[in-house]
Amino acid sequence: MVHKRFKFLGVAAVVLLMAMACGGNSGGGNTKQYKIGLVTDIGGLNDKSFNHLAFVGLEKAKTDFGIKDDVTESHSGNDYVPNLTSFAQKNYDLVIGVGFLMQEAMGTVSGRFPNIHFAIIDGAGTDDKGNDLKHANVQSLYFKEQDAGAMVGVIAGWLEKNSKAKKNKHVIGAVGGISIPPVNHYIAGYKWAATMEDPSIKVLVGYSNDFTDPAKCKGVAQSQINQNADVEFQVAGGCGLGVLQAAGQAGVYSIGVDADQKDADPSVIASALKKVDVATYTAIKNVVNGQFQGGALTFSIANAGAGYQVDNLSVPAELQTELNSVEAKIKAGTLTPPADIP
Amino acid sequence: MSTRPRPPLMPPIVRRLVRGLGMPLGSVLLAFVLGGLIVAATGGNPFSAYAALVCGGFGIGCTQGENPALQISNTIVFVIPLITAGVAVALPFRAGLFNIGAEGQLLAGSIACTAVGIKFSSLPAPILLPMVLISGMVAGALWAGVAGVLKATIGAHEVVTTIMMNYIAQWLLRYLIIGGPLQLAPGTSKSSPIGPGARLATILPNDNSLIILGLPSSVFRVHTGLFIALAAAAVFAFLLWRTSLGYEIRAVGQSQKAARYAGVSVRRTIIVTMLIAGAFSGLAGAIEIAGVDHNLTDKYFSDTTGFDAIAVALLGLGSAVGIVLAAILFGALHAGGAVMQADANISGNLVFVLQALILFSIAANFVGAIRQRIPGLGRPTALPPEMPPAAPLMTEAAAPPAEA
Repeated sequence: MVHKRFKFLGVAAVVLLMAMACGGNSGGGNTKQYKIGLVTDIGGLNDKSFNHLAFVGLEKAKTDFGIKDDVTESHSGNDYVPNLTSFAQKNYDLVIGVGFLMQEAMGTVSGRFPNIHFAIIDGAGTDDKGNDLKHANVQSLYFKEQDAGAMVGVIAGWLEKNSKAKKNKHVIGAVGGISIPPVNHYIAGYKWAATMEDPSIKVLVGYSNDFTDPAKCKGVAQSQINQNADVEFQVAGGCGLGVLQAAGQAGVYSIGVDADQKDADPSVIASALKKVDVATYTAIKNVVNGQFQGGALTFSIANAGAGYQVDNLSVPAELQTELNSVEAKIKAGTLTPPADIP
Repeated sequence: MSTRPRPPLMPPIVRRLVRGLGMPLGSVLLAFVLGGLIVAATGGNPFSAYAALVCGGFGIGCTQGENPALQISNTIVFVIPLITAGVAVALPFRAGLFNIGAEGQLLAGSIACTAVGIKFSSLPAPILLPMVLISGMVAGALWAGVAGVLKATIGAHEVVTTIMMNYIAQWLLRYLIIGGPLQLAPGTSKSSPIGPGARLATILPNDNSLIILGLPSSVFRVHTGLFIALAAAAVFAFLLWRTSLGYEIRAVGQSQKAARYAGVSVRRTIIVTMLIAGAFSGLAGAIEIAGVDHNLTDKYFSDTTGFDAIAVALLGLGSAVGIVLAAILFGALHAGGAVMQADANISGNLVFVLQALILFSIAANFVGAIRQRIPGLGRPTALPPEMPPAAPLMTEAAAPPAEA
């Protein structure tokens, strides 16, 4: 019995030593091959949104820097801690967590592995009360969602003011998933810019309390459409696809979020973009260049980390001029979309 | 046929064991073979996929630097609630009831545990810990009891009512932590943490600076809930086979008419069975809060433990040992899926394919078992005692108990 136990420990130790040896210098020779691990949230890689974009950024970094990239999808909230831990204990050079939902897990795991670098999209490493632990080995990749929200808000407001929308009753809507900061930033920029374009506009804001089930968002959108909203902005991830469908069925316009959602429904006239791919790529680039820094890194229109995309709409020249002007002003800092819903 | 009885090839105990294990092992084997074919057909290497799965689940044969002890620890963390909730599905099976509501009962248990753990957070562990676990059990029992009472009084089918109770629990949870009284702060989707006295200790110290097996000991999350889960399985076995209530439960499961003729109150048995089952599920939820999470979070929106428990109970043939073994398999699949994706580049979703295939093969064997009972089609043998009562599940349980 004793022998067996020692044997097991011996094998474990050898495996560990080998892993450490490999981790330190896996490429052999002079150039070190960096190992980057990506942990998705429960949306999975095919969410056409954050997780997908993070993967796009990872792939680009792989092409440019020859990194070794590995991905683990989380299937439930139970998976965050073990998935992050798995890469960390294998001495990866950067472990990236996608999404706000992973904050507490990130805080826990980064505390256990102070020598491993972590990055988290849209969040920080927090304790169980939601306070940022400010671990020096965690980089928070934040976005000024209000920048992107403002650009699509300009489109919605301009259409209402110039009677180019479907009902033109000066009512537009926004459907949020859960009332959390990233969602509200989007809606804040949207409402602010739409009101700037069309001061008589009424912006309906609703929440589905869900990020995954399209049926729940569809109901909220339908009730807004019944109140004469004819541009529906979804800020609810996979749930929000129901908003786009509801708009399509009611014959009104919709606006996608996070990624380009042109193909999700013909009613999508534009998408507010959070360039998670740019953020992921930048975080990896910093590690490869030895410039990793803990703390926040914010992506906005100013550093091409946020923006908009026109989809199933032919933009009149006047609107395009307005869009360019607002974008330039935000970039220059003369216009600042608010972070809180006005 | 010779007149002399042939000497048995195997001693009866071994034969029983083989017969008992044949169905689940066959199902698992079949699932893995089919899963391997699917991997191969989609351009992957099934052998490297399964090697990574075994590494991730059991810490055996890891080649990419996984720490075996950590993998085993991760698996056990998943196994703990599966055992407890598996029992909550298996017990009603024995009474011919299909408890689809383990998830809702688990959520009710976790909600009650959290609420009590926050409210009385200053109490010391010897008082608070039993309090939170018992409140979880009571909440789970009440949640399942609703279905039991409806079944026993107006004959509402427990499959329908327990499914509906799942939705109620899920939405109640959402309300409570998003805008409701348990919400930590506006804009968050979680509750405050429970008091330190309400937490189950981890087996290794939760210390970031203590290095064990090359890792900080806090990464090994195995907690003392493991012993509670194993005790729950033992209590289940004792209750079922060593008490008169267990006898009544089995009698009702075999035939409600015969049970009634023997003087068993079918209604009372149904209600009591559901109450006990709910207490087990509620305990699973309370253990998750007290042992792993320490607060209610949005992760419970995507929790599927109560549904996986159905598969665990079926694969475990409704026996305590079987449930523990099946829970270990499902826990290992869960933990191994992530490693498989990272190391072998095979999507972790293969794990769900495997789980579904296992369930499918078991369901197919159900059909075989039922067919055996119809004269002329197969051997008219009785179901072995290890089998959950499949036939009543399909027929008698669907009708309300007609009790005089």
